[in-house]
Amino acid sequence: MSAAADTADVVIVGSGAGGAPLAARLAEAGVSVVVLEAGRAFRPDDHVADELAADIYWMEERLSGGADPTAFGANNSGMGVGGSTLHWGAFCPRPDARDLRLRSESGQGEDWPIAHDELIGYVDAVERFIGVSGPARYPWDAGRRYELPPVARNAPADAMARGCAALGIAATDAPAALVSRDRAQPHWGERQACINCGTCHQGCRTAAKATTDTSWLPLAVAHGAEVRAECRVVDIERGGSGRVSGVVYVRRGERRRLACRALFLCAGGVETPRLLLNLDLANSSGQVGRNFMAHVATQVWGRFDADMRMNRGYPSSLITEDMMRAADADHAGGYLIQSLGVMPVTLATNLARGTGLWGQALVDLLDDYNRLGGIGINGDCLPSDDNRLTLADETDAYGLRKARIDFSYGPNERAIDAHARKTMTAIWEAAGARDIFAVDRSAHTIGTCRMGSDGDRAVVDADGRSFDIDNLFICDNSVFPSALAANPALTIMALSLRTADRLLATRG
Amino acid sequence: MAQLYFLHALGASAREWDEVITGLGDLGDCVALDLPGFGDSADADLDVVGLVDWFAAQVSARERQSWAVIGHSMGGKIATLAAARARDGDPDFAGLAAVVLLAASPPAPEPMAEERRADMIGWFADGRIGADEAASFVDANTAHRLPEPLRAQAIADVERSGRRAWTGWLERDSREDWQAAAGTLSVPALIVVGGEDGDLGEDAQRRLNLPHYRDARVEVVAGAAHLLPYEQPAAVAALIRDHVTPAFARALPAPFLALLASDRVSRRTRAVMTERHAAPPAGKMLSSQQRAVLAALVETVLPGAADPVDLAARIDAMLSSGVGDGWRSADLPADAEAWASGLDTLDRLADGFAERTPADRDQFLRVIDDGSCRPDGAASDTGQMRLWFAEARAEIARQWMALPATMARIGYDGFAVGGDGPHKQGYRLTAADTIEDWQRLEARA
Repeated sequence: MSAAADTADVVIVGSGAGGAPLAARLAEAGVSVVVLEAGRAFRPDDHVADELAADIYWMEERLSGGADPTAFGANNSGMGVGGSTLHWGAFCPRPDARDLRLRSESGQGEDWPIAHDELIGYVDAVERFIGVSGPARYPWDAGRRYELPPVARNAPADAMARGCAALGIAATDAPAALVSRDRAQPHWGERQACINCGTCHQGCRTAAKATTDTSWLPLAVAHGAEVRAECRVVDIERGGSGRVSGVVYVRRGERRRLACRALFLCAGGVETPRLLLNLDLANSSGQVGRNFMAHVATQVWGRFDADMRMNRGYPSSLITEDMMRAADADHAGGYLIQSLGVMPVTLATNLARGTGLWGQALVDLLDDYNRLGGIGINGDCLPSDDNRLTLADETDAYGLRKARIDFSYGPNERAIDAHARKTMTAIWEAAGARDIFAVDRSAHTIGTCRMGSDGDRAVVDADGRSFDIDNLFICDNSVFPSALAANPALTIMALSLRTADRLLATRG
Repeated sequence: MAQLYFLHALGASAREWDEVITGLGDLGDCVALDLPGFGDSADADLDVVGLVDWFAAQVSARERQSWAVIGHSMGGKIATLAAARARDGDPDFAGLAAVVLLAASPPAPEPMAEERRADMIGWFADGRIGADEAASFVDANTAHRLPEPLRAQAIADVERSGRRAWTGWLERDSREDWQAAAGTLSVPALIVVGGEDGDLGEDAQRRLNLPHYRDARVEVVAGAAHLLPYEQPAAVAALIRDHVTPAFARALPAPFLALLASDRVSRRTRAVMTERHAAPPAGKMLSSQQRAVLAALVETVLPGAADPVDLAARIDAMLSSGVGDGWRSADLPADAEAWASGLDTLDRLADGFAERTPADRDQFLRVIDDGSCRPDGAASDTGQMRLWFAEARAEIARQWMALPATMARIGYDGFAVGGDGPHKQGYRLTAADTIEDWQRLEARA
């Protein structure tokens, strides 16, 4: 242990979408902030255009169970200063007002304890700060404006536009958290315009894509915050009152203690509940780890006669929100459809696992990489008692038990999946694809420490504050009461700003 | 046509390779170089970095092909350090397929008696190396007196050595310690040593050169001391041919290599692709029987596409490293155990999976996949076999698709989207049926 007193007003565990915006906002307000990040720090230039060599994912083993086990590793959490924003797809639809009141609307799922208008105010602030490219007119939200023009569509986007047009489905350029023109980022420097390299998931080498290490964290540091890389939090210390008094972290084999007045866990929907369960903290409700949700992320693929080369360009450059509440829906909630550009290794892995193909059929399919095109969904997922994160008996290198995540689709997810397969197959047929097939997939880690107004049914309140420990906060996708169809990062960043404001408001 | 670069010894010249190259026939385009200060080249005082830079300029000046380097003595140190730069993603050295070292000076300081070093430096005290000094040098480095006119040629080359090059090597370059930079190399290496060599004999080669190469073997040539290309050219040529032929056979296509060497690719990307193209390190998790079953499984999952033995070794290496893909099914044991049990059970179900016909193997996999296999008493049960087979398919596909040779096969160029300059290149065109000139690999050759 370090002998010198090491202390901060606020310690934030995790430097991604949950931790970084609030670090910046608290630091701007004069709060002393230390961000602890398990992974290392990168420059954009450090990233590598290779799927196996990219080293920005949380690759420590997780156990996946249930009828529809979800994939981790390169598929979900990130590791490094920037967290999952290092590898996120930057696809940033806004949260839909109806999704936040799903229970009121459908009798299923949960309502959020935050009003949509209030959340959108923060979404707007996030978009203005990180820079979002999008269409001049957004068909499903007439008043919406994006700062930057859309990035180039790629071949799957053109195909999807064609297919949607033939079926009368509205589609447009996707909102993308990357800059389509050079743009100065305060306290960081110039983010170069997107070069259509297609390697968003391996790490953006031009800083065109918004990541917290090129946006929120430099802002935080400019206001006195400190970001410590390669610091793995392994323990939370508490004083006599039961309040958090500090954290213990390991840096390059050395255990260190950092005292704090408030602690924010922003380690994502798996690591945040895993730490709490390992330490048996903040769980009088028994809700920690419960209601794990993953978006229904079914994909539909096909062969085209044209040379698609789908690795080119921003991967998800087209969107339709028409299925958010489809007229013929037999499910609660809805889904977004996006065009897909998937890199070869990820595609090969998913197809070999998900299609049940092997032998010559698999070889032929993979050999045809340059002629394949796909579309996929991000569909809502209802909270369920059956889906939860628990601790396995096996431990990790720090002696903490590994996470086991059991996940099975319920009837609503199955209905969304079936509806989406039908819709996407129709779009792909209209676009001219042949040999069309679907691949099961789920994505994102949501829930597990949900927020609510009742301490018996939720882990934190609407401000992210633990019902059990009043100086312990959670801010990441684990607090989501329901999944929302929108990809989570934009909403997480908005919540992060709101959580900071709520803390500052109660500080007096 | 693949290229072979020949780097000669101290006091020699490109001519020392004449008979070796004759013995190689049409193996490739043989480029024997005069090191700076030797043969017909002007005298120069280059340290080791300078020598490797000079070699880089030689390689990059020629059209990019798959290539091998054959380094003799002093040339061997340059060869190994060039291989290290190739590993680290140096574009000038992209495409290195094989290394042959002959009585090579190691990355470490070369073992040499100080008296002898002083003697040899002293030969220039009177301005030039005398004929008798040159003759004693050649004779001392051969097991038997060389036949004429080879001996006269070798002596003449020593005599015409540049003073700065000669003393620079002896006083400085041979003493420079490049062990850390050389590190461990994956490129296949053949280390040839003369049975009667002295300071750079077999013991020194095993101690100082072999540890730098993880895929290497040592060959001792009888009837030779240090001047192997002169003493045993036919044997040396045969060894080079045997070593280089399979390496060239699995080389990446020249247009792909040219793109890999271009400034569209970052050093880091080039380095990881270079490393992955090399043979995998030896795994130690699977038994030879399990490895054979895995190779047969690879052959069934990706028939005719993947090299089954190579891919099985890669998966064994992955299991040995303990670094997986970040998750596993909760119903399976840890990866290494799951693979061992899965392979054993598959072998048992098929009563010798590797010996079965492709159609039979396919049928066994079908039964596993539809959950109807009955592995009574085996390590894995029906459900586990189904889960493991899904995992195995995914891992086999993942490892195969990540190979640079597969990228070349499917026409993938997404690794060439940005070098190390302040502005990355990316793609200008993203629509279907549009292609940029740099992407036309077939037209580049």
